[in-house]
Amino acid sequence: MKLFKSAAKPVAVARELLPTPFFDKLDAVSLVKNWHEWNGYLVADVVEAVGKEYFAIRNQSTLFDISPMCKYRVKGPDALRVMNRLVIRDVAKIGVGRVGYAMWCDEEGMVIDDGTVFRYGDDEFMLLCQEHMFTWLHDCAWGFDVSITDETHNFCGLALQGPTSFSVLKEAGLESVADMKPFDLREIEPGLWISRTGYTGDLGYELFTDSQYAHQLWDRLWGAGHKLWGLIPIGFDALEIARLEVGFLAPGLDFQPVHVVSRINRGRTPFELGFGRLVNFEKGHFNGRRALLKHRDEGSRYHLVRLDIEGKEPAKDAFIYSGRDKVVGHVTSAVWSPTAKRNIALAELEAPYGGKVKNGLWAEIYVYKEGAWQRRQKKAVVVETPFFTNARSRKTPPDLF
Amino acid sequence: MAQSEKRYDVIVIGAGHNGLVSAATLAKLGKRVCVLEKENEIGGMARNYEIADGLQAPRIAHLLYNYNPVVARELGLAEKIDKAPISTIALSDDGRHIEIANGALRYADGAEHPDAAAYAEIRRKIEKFGKLLAPLALRSPPDLSEGLSLAGAGEAAAIAKLGLELKMFGKKDMREFLRIVLSNIYDLALDEMPDGEVAGLLAADAVWGAWAGPRSPGTVFLLMYRYAYGADPSLPKRGAGAVVDAIVDVARSRGVEIRTGAAVSRLNIKNDAVTGVVLEGGSEISAKVVMSSLGAFPSMKMAGPQHYDVETVRRLRNVRAKGMTAKVNLVLRQEPKIGGVSLAQIAGRFVIAPSAKYVERAFSKAKYGEFPGAPVIEFVMPMVSDAAQRGRYLLSAIVQYIPYHLKGGWDDAARDRLTALTIDTLSQYIPELRENIAHVDALSPAFIERETGAPGGHWHHGELSTDQLLTVRPVNGMSRYAFGVRGYYLCGAGAHPGGGVSGAAGRNSALQLLKDGVLS
Repeated sequence: MKLFKSAAKPVAVARELLPTPFFDKLDAVSLVKNWHEWNGYLVADVVEAVGKEYFAIRNQSTLFDISPMCKYRVKGPDALRVMNRLVIRDVAKIGVGRVGYAMWCDEEGMVIDDGTVFRYGDDEFMLLCQEHMFTWLHDCAWGFDVSITDETHNFCGLALQGPTSFSVLKEAGLESVADMKPFDLREIEPGLWISRTGYTGDLGYELFTDSQYAHQLWDRLWGAGHKLWGLIPIGFDALEIARLEVGFLAPGLDFQPVHVVSRINRGRTPFELGFGRLVNFEKGHFNGRRALLKHRDEGSRYHLVRLDIEGKEPAKDAFIYSGRDKVVGHVTSAVWSPTAKRNIALAELEAPYGGKVKNGLWAEIYVYKEGAWQRRQKKAVVVETPFFTNARSRKTPPDLF
Repeated sequence: MAQSEKRYDVIVIGAGHNGLVSAATLAKLGKRVCVLEKENEIGGMARNYEIADGLQAPRIAHLLYNYNPVVARELGLAEKIDKAPISTIALSDDGRHIEIANGALRYADGAEHPDAAAYAEIRRKIEKFGKLLAPLALRSPPDLSEGLSLAGAGEAAAIAKLGLELKMFGKKDMREFLRIVLSNIYDLALDEMPDGEVAGLLAADAVWGAWAGPRSPGTVFLLMYRYAYGADPSLPKRGAGAVVDAIVDVARSRGVEIRTGAAVSRLNIKNDAVTGVVLEGGSEISAKVVMSSLGAFPSMKMAGPQHYDVETVRRLRNVRAKGMTAKVNLVLRQEPKIGGVSLAQIAGRFVIAPSAKYVERAFSKAKYGEFPGAPVIEFVMPMVSDAAQRGRYLLSAIVQYIPYHLKGGWDDAARDRLTALTIDTLSQYIPELRENIAHVDALSPAFIERETGAPGGHWHHGELSTDQLLTVRPVNGMSRYAFGVRGYYLCGAGAHPGGGVSGAAGRNSALQLLKDGVLS
């Protein structure tokens, strides 16, 4: 904690995992002390119980500490050009005060990472993502007039997600978020930024401030929401269920960030991940454009698809078969969806499976029951839409509960 | 205001010999070609200039090495260029110089040299292996990015042929080739002879123009590159500039338009394809294809980094092109005298590299950005025997190990130090030189970069080292002359196979773009 008292950057290279600016607050309410490492920080897998936390996302409201997320500010006269050089979509279409989902590729058109682009001004952006991009951004910006700063360690964030999240904000004196539409970004008070974004597919916001104000922010939300609106902190495990219900991708699971892998052919194109619609070939050159044109014309080698699998045993790590004996892919993420009441998964299939051929797929699920493994062949159906959608997530102004 | 001029098939940026060869090659096939040169003179590093009232001097290159007979034949240059091999005098501190004439090494006074046999054997090997590699210089490097395919089979065959020819050398020579090809000249020479003028000459011949010392790996390869068409350089009548003049004649006779004083400020690019160039001053010239004979890095900047992938820009930024070679031209009042050198021998090439160790020591200083205590020098006095220049003498010196990245930078004082160092070193062998000098031109690597567009003033536009050769020259993924944006091609020494007044890069690039179909 010493490291964050002054809200300065870490003063030395720490040998242990770092506490996030919210760690004290989480630690105080954590019953299970179930932590893991995220980007060098200690974060919760579970705070109390997964089930309770998951249902709070869908029925109450929740706080998730997103401080370890990599955050890079790109600022200067060429900021828009640099962002457009980086990502596959047209950043010019993200207005000031708006947020956009983006992917970016290497020269071979393989996805390096995905993340969100926050547009603070005409010439100012913040890139939020999973992977470290500082050197990549500098390489990307060579020859352009911008400054790039890594704000990962001095800018903290909380995701406030769930149907009562607007009520919590109102109670906290931030009612003016009412007219914010999904993907809007606003400095709601000096030094406090709010975006109507999230990773749960539910009504929700993400709040960012300088790390020195972390405790103030936590206390303010906690005081407004814990008793009245069922606000509780959550860990990764609950969030993992929610994001899969919407079909959001997790780098490292559903695709392999191409800068991290060392084996060849582990990279995937945006087309193969189902994000071909994001690729804007008209905006001028961007990284990987020439390779992506080729990939577009030659077709995808793989298809990342949503699967609805019979039964209720999550198809974690399952092989996917076409018919009884041809392996055509594998599950990348799987969970039982408590809200959809379906056994859902994301799976990567070799083309044409999951693309032109969608029928006749089976998941081979391994189930461990008290000292014995069982193998189960379950029918898998490709699903085109998210498993969970809810009008409240997009309604403006949001409903009060 | 920008105005559009008539449309060409091809614009070539830079009227150095490679740019001119590209233009002439394409014009032969009826393409409309315009060459744009920012200087007022044509020829780049290979041109002549008027150093003093009526006296012509080679601007930079003064001899021909790896002059490519295939390129010359294709262009019909062979009969236009009057060149003859010249002898080499390796100068010795004790006045007992060594002469290599017609492939044989002896003392300059005619006595036999104890290392003559060892020298002959090394030379035989290097020439033979250089000849083996020479055909590679006339092909685009194979495209390995797509793996082996039927389309790529022809290219793989070229490599297979190399392997076959290597096998036909017989076991002994094949093993010898593989043993030495990546090694250093210092070990190769000193395994066979004591250090001295002969080893020094081999060392110097391996490193001209390179950011490398005799102990650097890859210097044997550099020597093979240089000796591929024979170890003896040739001196064209009227200097290297005569070669450029001949290429210009051929190009013009085929309808190539050459404009001087036409500096390109940037490329016009639309939908990821080249549409022409914009000149300084704003006028525009349109063309289907633009070829750049500048180095790879300045060529990228001319198009703009926004048109290149991030990885490509990073690779191009890291091409090693640190020039190590300066040019000093001296106008002399009277005929220079070198002790121990006969009147006949004075028309030859002189090398100041009394030992391999001397060469390595000079590099040791220069690689840290300092002037060497004593530089390695190659000089010729091309006009000594030319009656037309009676009473006036020129000394053209290539001064090796003058770093581009000089500590403190290149200013007038540094240039004066270059001049002084060169004259001091030459004076040890030409005693009355100092009083004899009427005029000096000293061109630092930094100056050469500004004048010619060669990054770092490097005469190969990028170090010829194993990490920057063949499929990775200038950088991985760009070895086949096509340079990112459709219709943009590299045609200078920065591309395969590299520099020297050979014209191979310019010719290959022209043939490749025709194959790529960018003109149709």
